Amino acid sequence: MAVSYEHRLLFRHEGPLDMEVLPHIVRSLDKLLVEEGIRTPLRRKIISSLIELAQNIIHYAVHSENQPPLLSLSRSDEGIVLTAKNLVYYSQEIFLQSYLQNLTQMSRAELENLHHNTLTSGSYSDSGGANLGLLQVLFKADKFDYELTPAEGEHSWFTVKAIFFLKSHE
Amino acid sequence: MSDLTTSEKLVIEPTFTTPEIIFDPGNRKFFIGGNSYPENSLKFYGPILQWLENLAQRHIPQPDPFILEVRLEYFNTSTAKVLLDLFRYFESLHEKGQPVHIRWIFLEEDTEMEDAGLDYQAAVKVPFELVPINEESA
Repeated sequence: MAVSYEHRLLFRHEGPLDMEVLPHIVRSLDKLLVEEGIRTPLRRKIISSLIELAQNIIHYAVHSENQPPLLSLSRSDEGIVLTAKNLVYYSQEIFLQSYLQNLTQMSRAELENLHHNTLTSGSYSDSGGANLGLLQVLFKADKFDYELTPAEGEHSWFTVKAIFFLKSHE
Repeated sequence: MSDLTTSEKLVIEPTFTTPEIIFDPGNRKFFIGGNSYPENSLKFYGPILQWLENLAQRHIPQPDPFILEVRLEYFNTSTAKVLLDLFRYFESLHEKGQPVHIRWIFLEEDTEMEDAGLDYQAAVKVPFELVPINEESA
């Protein structure tokens, strides 16, 4: 699966990501999307998804000074494209391949059911997460793609691309 | 926040990533509002849940209802899960005879937030009202 980057870039952050940086990104993007004329419901979908992807990076990604994570937002004919790219360990790649392959094959009703069950009876992760982040992004986005590609050493690049259609929110 | 007691109201000022919390059992008003995407939701909400547990254990039911208003903008999925735990404490109070009314306030065109409210409404056994507001009054 190839992830394309041919869009008008609205925002790009490539560098260390932590909970000091994230609120600044959220506030800047909120303002930027207002200026882009994106209405509140869609704006909230996009930024909520960005928060989930960013917090996954903060909690789980391999932290490398030379190969920092990337978050970007661009505008295409299709809509707003949110991209998150970060290094993961090989063991995480195996999990992500299996987990996302399973999720992307589910119907909307099955996703809703999984979301409900995880929310009401699932456990918290060590970092206090609900194990719902990627599911939530897949749920909110109109299109969801991901790819895992080899990186140096025992790492892989994990890229998520979530597209939010403009037309369905006009 | 380690010294929370139910003898007085609980007030937590908002930050960019954590909500304003005002739990005032004396006046029967409870409020959660703003953003909620802390790095570790359990760490932030843990003492609040503990405070509610103490309240649920010690509270003597009164005829007037406790009103909990929830008015969130951005909240992450771990907050979504913690909120359900929080609502369970209000459910527990309700089961013990304390009337409880939860008001989930959301922008009227924000279907995601409305759906989240509907999920909670179905999951908890207390009066749970969805309150749409328009952007001007938000």
